[in-house]
Amino acid sequence: MRYDAVIIGAGIAGTTAAEALLAKGLRCALVAQGRSKSNPDLNALVARGLALYLGDEVLSGDIVEGRVVALHTQKLEDVALVADNYILASGKFFSRGIVADMDRVYEPIFGLDVEYDADRSNWFNADFAADQKFLSFGVKNYGQGKVAHEGVVLSNLFAAGEVLEGICSLDSAEKIAASAAEAVSNIK
Amino acid sequence: MQEHSISANNFEQCQKCAICTTVCPVLANNELYPGPKQAGPDGERYRMKNPVFYQETLKYCMNCKRCEVACPSGVKIGDMIQSAKLEYGKRSHIIRDTTLASTDLVGPMASAFAPVANLALSMKPVKAVLDATIGVSKHRTMPKYSSQTFESWFKKNAAAKQDGFRNHISYYHGCYANFNYPQLGKDFVAVMNALGYGVHLLDKEECCGVAMISAGMKKQATKKAQHNVKVIGEAVAAGRKVVTVSTSCTLTIRDEYPHLLGVDNSAVRDNVVLVEKFLWQALSAENVKLVWKEDYKARAAYHVPCHQEVLGWSNFTIELLQMIPGMELTVLDSHCCGIGGTYGFKKENYETSQKIGQPLFDSIKAADPDFVACECETCKWQIEMSTGYAVKNPISILAEALDLEKTMEANR
Amino acid sequence: MANNLKDNEFDVIIVGGGITGAGTARDCSLRGLRVLLIERNDIADGATGRNHGLLHSGARYAVKDSESATECIKENMILRNIARNCVEDTQGLFITLPEDAETGFGLDYQKKFIDACIAAGISAKAIDPKDAIRMEPSVNPTLIGAVQVPDGSVDPFRLCSANVLDAKLHGAKVITYTEVTEFVKEDNTIKGVKVHNKKTGEDAVYYAPVTVNAAGIWGHSIAEMAGVHVGMYPAKGALLVFGHRVNNVVINRCRKSADGDILVPGDTVTVIGTTSTKVPFEECDNMSVTREEVELLLREGCALCPSLANTRILRAYAGVRPLVASDDDPTGRSISRGIVCLDHETRDGIKGFITITGGKLMTYRLMAEWATDAVCRKLAVAEQCKTAVTPLPGSEPKDQYSEVKIPQFAGANLGMKASIGRQGSMVRKIDFTNAEDRELVCECEQVTVGEIRYAVNELGVTSLRDLRRRTRVGMGTCQGAFCIGKAAAALAAALGKPEMADQLAADYLNERWKGMSAVGWGDTLREMEYLQRVYKSSNESK
Repeated sequence: MRYDAVIIGAGIAGTTAAEALLAKGLRCALVAQGRSKSNPDLNALVARGLALYLGDEVLSGDIVEGRVVALHTQKLEDVALVADNYILASGKFFSRGIVADMDRVYEPIFGLDVEYDADRSNWFNADFAADQKFLSFGVKNYGQGKVAHEGVVLSNLFAAGEVLEGICSLDSAEKIAASAAEAVSNIK
Repeated sequence: MQEHSISANNFEQCQKCAICTTVCPVLANNELYPGPKQAGPDGERYRMKNPVFYQETLKYCMNCKRCEVACPSGVKIGDMIQSAKLEYGKRSHIIRDTTLASTDLVGPMASAFAPVANLALSMKPVKAVLDATIGVSKHRTMPKYSSQTFESWFKKNAAAKQDGFRNHISYYHGCYANFNYPQLGKDFVAVMNALGYGVHLLDKEECCGVAMISAGMKKQATKKAQHNVKVIGEAVAAGRKVVTVSTSCTLTIRDEYPHLLGVDNSAVRDNVVLVEKFLWQALSAENVKLVWKEDYKARAAYHVPCHQEVLGWSNFTIELLQMIPGMELTVLDSHCCGIGGTYGFKKENYETSQKIGQPLFDSIKAADPDFVACECETCKWQIEMSTGYAVKNPISILAEALDLEKTMEANR
Repeated sequence: MANNLKDNEFDVIIVGGGITGAGTARDCSLRGLRVLLIERNDIADGATGRNHGLLHSGARYAVKDSESATECIKENMILRNIARNCVEDTQGLFITLPEDAETGFGLDYQKKFIDACIAAGISAKAIDPKDAIRMEPSVNPTLIGAVQVPDGSVDPFRLCSANVLDAKLHGAKVITYTEVTEFVKEDNTIKGVKVHNKKTGEDAVYYAPVTVNAAGIWGHSIAEMAGVHVGMYPAKGALLVFGHRVNNVVINRCRKSADGDILVPGDTVTVIGTTSTKVPFEECDNMSVTREEVELLLREGCALCPSLANTRILRAYAGVRPLVASDDDPTGRSISRGIVCLDHETRDGIKGFITITGGKLMTYRLMAEWATDAVCRKLAVAEQCKTAVTPLPGSEPKDQYSEVKIPQFAGANLGMKASIGRQGSMVRKIDFTNAEDRELVCECEQVTVGEIRYAVNELGVTSLRDLRRRTRVGMGTCQGAFCIGKAAAALAAALGKPEMADQLAADYLNERWKGMSAVGWGDTLREMEYLQRVYKSSNESK
């Protein structure tokens, strides 16, 4: 399947990016494992021509010479999603945009560089109401949602919303949407 | 040490966000149904403790699996509910459920006496009797039976020519194309032949078992599954893809066999594919060429059936239909039509079924298309009965829109 | 007993609302004494609420401590009759793994183990490993031996609550969130206690000719306050709770007791434990589970049941066993788990003061009997103990409350069944014909508004933590993410203080947060992010 842009994630960041890219007249697809409570209605985007892959999961992405060249999903199996540009708006821990095991935090689709504290004892504050450090973890932002794989900044993958370091679900919808607008601004 | 939790149906991944409850068409329309969260992961924890916590109200689940499509955690909520029904459910309407579920047992008998059966099924007194005795809703228009099955048509009219093609596939036609609407099978053969594919039947396919699974008939469904996996395996071993036209049969064979019946289909699963995905892939690999009729014009509204949502392949259908010159395609908002296979035929579900479908019926009426495009046969019954708009399987639409002779030449 | 007592005068004051104190309060009040029970927090807040919830068969102690083993099996059989709604007959397995043979705990030891069990009156029989796997499919399939014993599970919160409730029904006064600040002591006689209510800030004095120190590990300082020394040994035990029932039969390791060798299915979850480490007294009020303890419990747990490696851990918690020190064993494992009942008049020359300690959850009733016997001797009361034959509230056999019908209503149907499972025949007090009472609050644990109202009206609930101990509210998969807002509102309404809802929720969330932090990775971390989002973000609808 060939598109101008593929967006991963159907939360505030993903749908904001999709709207902006559709408005530019691009052929867009959006893949998301499920619906987001903050933004459950995707019908309007489909009516505007968005190819929606809901209930599907991006398993991996192929990176060749600093560019993403294809995505592979669980349900499309042997059919890859191919686009000129990609937006990663896959959220934080809850949506598994980043994943934590006992010692490590990683980005599961591309293996992007992630910013986090290696010392687990700093992740949580005992006071529930206080700031929690783990919520600041995320994919390292090289400016305007540019991201890196093993230190190499990628030329056509841009991250938006909570998957990024420093942005979390406690931030306002406006702040999350603004990060999506920044990521989209990389795409001409 | 501990990386990921692994559990049956991804039960442990549930975060209790309850998004499933916002998309469940039954919960919104039937107050007796506990909803996917309670019937699924919440109830499962209690059933694991003690089966006494099984609730009979799980029978109201129509297995549309919209909860699974919406779940951000990949929890197989629908499978969990179906498994519980298979494991613990009591069957209160045994005759009715068995009749509705045994589509390939009742089908042949009805086909043999099709005119009588159809007349009888449309008569008010007969419907009232069905309603009162076995609990089939009298409001329901019963599916018509064809006097010649697809299989017998195929053997008489098509089988002999099939070896002459360049490529070959096997066709799992399903009960509906066989007993109720052989034209669908004929359209499939016409299109595949035009594209240069010889069509072969399996060595006696049986019903996929989807209705038996819903009716809790695990043993019977398992026998069907084992048989189908065997005959599909033979086709695959002969180097053929097994191509299907029904979304529910496809989902059942690919995913429900291992998840619900414990039947290992790993050797065949990836070779069972819906015709729209198969054609899209053949086109994108430039294996086939399409030649369209020059004067074809249609306004179609595409309804994505629930099980197509689960398969995740609706975009293949959309792209294929959009290739047709003269096609004006609207993709309808995602709603369940309410039929849920045999669900809507059951007396206790009729009202719920129609309420569930109402938003879809309204959007079809608002779009006012020439016809509705949809891959699912039970959606077709429901939409045709409830809106009066004709419903066509995409393969039938292609059969109409393609210049079959020129296409055949182009693919020779 | 005494008829002309003033409001602040009692026959006996019991300090400590754990299972021992609650059991003693019940026993004393069944024998006609006028009882005051004082607890500094909520009932079942200490070690009572922080253990496996194992209804021991006693097999674990059979080889080394046959006296404890005999006590255990007797009490096990008694509890099955007097506390039906608090116990579940799961049966238990003691398994031998191939590696146990290398450390001297092979099948020879199994034989010795079975003989010791039988000598203690525990029906233990060796079964074929294949049958053990059939009986409990999650058990480590490499096992080379298995012994079936009459283990079960017990809900210590409900057991404690039922004892308190029965004491109250027999006239006892129970005050919680109230600390003893000083003893009223004249010459060498304890005459009463001065107390401070932590919630109201009020001070009060109560008098009684006998005071029982049943404060568990905190009994150490209660004794000091009375001027006597009891050498307590605070042994911390850490446990992990898994998200659902992994096993339906208790799985133990057939070897010398060690860390993480008991896996108990309790209610909707499975618990692995424990560790045993000596901790300073000042840490007893604020236990937390370390990473090393989590790793150790997981490693040992996986030996019993390999699927634990891939099972979500809901939380970690720790309790402190009130062992009585007898030597300087660094692990505390060789200290007898036996009951210690001290009459400080004969031991230390302090009159009117008794300490009941040591022992364990399983033998609480016997401990209470001993303590009450001692009280009665001092008060010259001849009444005999009836607690072994008198069912606790809620414990009636099912057929005796068959008038309680489960109406066929949708969602709450499961909630009603769950309430009956928890509260037993006390469900008579919940009005399920009332739509509002049927409404589900906690969907993981199936707690209804009606059950919350019942807990507030009858079981002395003042906070969500208290409510959790009596109903399991918020103890399930989501640890409150889905329900705490709702539960806090329902509780605040039932307490008649709707303005308290936010504060109730905040207090509870902090407690959950601590337990989750120790195991905050994978799906548990996802849930933690979700909790933060639900309770702190404006983007999420609650």
